[in-house]
Amino acid sequence: MSQGIYLTDGPVRRPQPVGNPLLRKIQRSCRLSLPEPDLALNLDVADYINEKQGPAPRDAVIAIVKLINSRDTHTAVFALALLDVLVKNCGYPLHLQISRKEFLNELVKRFPEHPPMRYSKVQRLVLTAIEEWYQTICKHASYKEDMGYIRDMHRLLKYKGYIFPKINDSDMAVLRPADQLKTPSEIQKEQEVAQSAKLEELIRRGRPEDLREANKLMKVMAGFKEDNAREAKQTILTELNKLKRKADLLNEMLSSSDTPDLKNETVSELHSALKGAQPKFQGIIEEEHEDDELVQDLLKFNDTVNQLLEKMDLLKAGDSGAASQIRPSNISSPPPNSTSGALATEINLIDFDDEPAENSNNVHQPTSAGDSHSDPVSDLLGGLGELSLSSGQSTQNFGLGGSIQLGSSQPAPPVTSNATSHSNSNLDLLGTLSSQSTSSGQPPQQSSSGLDLFGDFQAPSGKVFVHQSNHLKIQGSFNRDNKQTIKCKFFFSNVSVSAIQGLTHLVAVPKHLQLRLLPQSGSTLGGFINEGVTQEAYIEGTPEAIADAVKMKWKVTYNVDGKPVEETAVFTLPKV
Amino acid sequence: MGNSVSRALGKLFGSREMKILMLGLDNAGKTTILYKLKLNKIRTSAPTVGFNVETVSYKNVKFNMWDVGGQERLRPLWRHYFPATTALIFVIDSHDKERLQEAKEELYAIISEKEMENVVLLVWANKQDLKGSLKPQEVSDYLELGQNLKNQLWCVVGSNALTGQGLVEGLSWISNNTPKK
Repeated sequence: MSQGIYLTDGPVRRPQPVGNPLLRKIQRSCRLSLPEPDLALNLDVADYINEKQGPAPRDAVIAIVKLINSRDTHTAVFALALLDVLVKNCGYPLHLQISRKEFLNELVKRFPEHPPMRYSKVQRLVLTAIEEWYQTICKHASYKEDMGYIRDMHRLLKYKGYIFPKINDSDMAVLRPADQLKTPSEIQKEQEVAQSAKLEELIRRGRPEDLREANKLMKVMAGFKEDNAREAKQTILTELNKLKRKADLLNEMLSSSDTPDLKNETVSELHSALKGAQPKFQGIIEEEHEDDELVQDLLKFNDTVNQLLEKMDLLKAGDSGAASQIRPSNISSPPPNSTSGALATEINLIDFDDEPAENSNNVHQPTSAGDSHSDPVSDLLGGLGELSLSSGQSTQNFGLGGSIQLGSSQPAPPVTSNATSHSNSNLDLLGTLSSQSTSSGQPPQQSSSGLDLFGDFQAPSGKVFVHQSNHLKIQGSFNRDNKQTIKCKFFFSNVSVSAIQGLTHLVAVPKHLQLRLLPQSGSTLGGFINEGVTQEAYIEGTPEAIADAVKMKWKVTYNVDGKPVEETAVFTLPKV
Repeated sequence: MGNSVSRALGKLFGSREMKILMLGLDNAGKTTILYKLKLNKIRTSAPTVGFNVETVSYKNVKFNMWDVGGQERLRPLWRHYFPATTALIFVIDSHDKERLQEAKEELYAIISEKEMENVVLLVWANKQDLKGSLKPQEVSDYLELGQNLKNQLWCVVGSNALTGQGLVEGLSWISNNTPKK
């Protein structure tokens, strides 16, 4: 390799034995002459493995564990540093190798049966590594069931009395599942690499059960490419949705005051997540250009992200005046009206005494009468569980025509705006759905395929559809009794074969209103009985001007087939 | 441990074990050959989706024979079976002249892989019982292995999976031409 003979800075040594390029690279990054682990050399090994795949991850891991067990502490420390880099950069194929029983046994070869008084440096590093894997890839990775031996080794060491050092969060963050938006081809590539690695490992092991699994895997790899593509798309939608929620959250945090705390960890985290995802939009649009809906959605989201990032930059520059001009619309809910959430004062709508308050229980009730078309509902950051916010910050403007928002982890199909007289009604079913759910509809005009519950279930006789589940359908009629009172009548129908027993219907309204709930006409509904039970209620203290903003929370409990069922949601009364 | 003892004993008695990879286009007869060797029976088999492995012992040699499905969509997966292969058996349907070129291309794609540079190559010109099928010599000429292969030892043997003709000859050629460790 070298041209001519000359002395370098390093000591003169006999040439390293030449093996294959991989082993040579590994030796180079662990050689004694290095003062400290060389990240560039280590990453070089990682790149080589990522490029070659096949047996490379396995060969590398075997070579490294040999070095870890060498008598020389220097080499062992370097080998562990290299292994750390590989684990963090080579993904599943390498994780599969470090989770092999043989490898793990080799790794702790120099651990005595009983823990020593003081761990050697190498032992400490090995324990750190295992603890780190245990905390990260064994818990978060999508293939964590393949990492069983790491868990076992962790347990065994613990059982023998070894104490694992505490891992700091920044080290673990690297191995957390990357919440990243990826293009379909990237996802498929990743799947392919992972599946190939798994197949090869199974073939290598060659036990009957491995071969059976290999056969299965091969069928998946060969036959169900379309399946993979569909899965990839699903992943994109999920990630996109998460990002949208993040965008909304960032928007709220930035808009909450004139001088938002930009150093806030959450803010910077959200900011970097959005910024990091943005370059992927184009890739996805290019690859999925035939899916018009997705592309439109993405373009719109991209605008929002651009606005948000600009706003962030302006705020950073201290120009809060200009920043406040930028008002990105909420992407995961219909665009807000001109009235801002600040006008709304929060009142706690209802707490049913026998259930914990849910996120969506906090409903903001506008007090100003001129505010008739805004309907802010505090919402629904269920999916962002780790971010706790005071509900005042998380005001979202609902409003505009009748959108029904089914929380789901993918963008819910937007509701076609319908031209019925009740199009002002907002039916927010979110409360009943899992905490993951967050409103994710798009503005009605964007909609194409809609889940139009109103259209389907609109009762012809002035009855308004309130709710339908597998068993129970609730309709209501709402009339104005006098200037201050709305008379409500609820109709309960059984839409299944099984009889409904012990039906109890509870209603609650905001505190400034009074509710008079009359007894139900009955509590039993036979199969397919239409409107077998009715109930009347009067809501007092509702001046006409804000009538459309009246919200009520209802809950029904009943037994069907001997099983108790509970359904609950918030319902917005139509304007009467 | 037990494994290594038996291996040592095996060495003593001259028995060996080797991984044999059997590939070829779909409908060449790989699975039929495998079960003819293993069970001495003809099993009518559906196209292999996935692979079959059987151990066939012949003259102190244990052949771990991997028969991987040859359908087009399975071919990209062949490479996962390459590591640690001692011998490659490529099965050709000598009656299907139209796909001979395709078979040739696949064969060259396999043996030009780095992991396969040290294997010995046996080509079974299968279906010799069918009328109008190419003779082993013709197949051999068509494949032009002599001109193109530098590293690998190779051999073309005519075979008939139904009668078992050529199969044992093929295996003994492999065992004679692989290093006795």
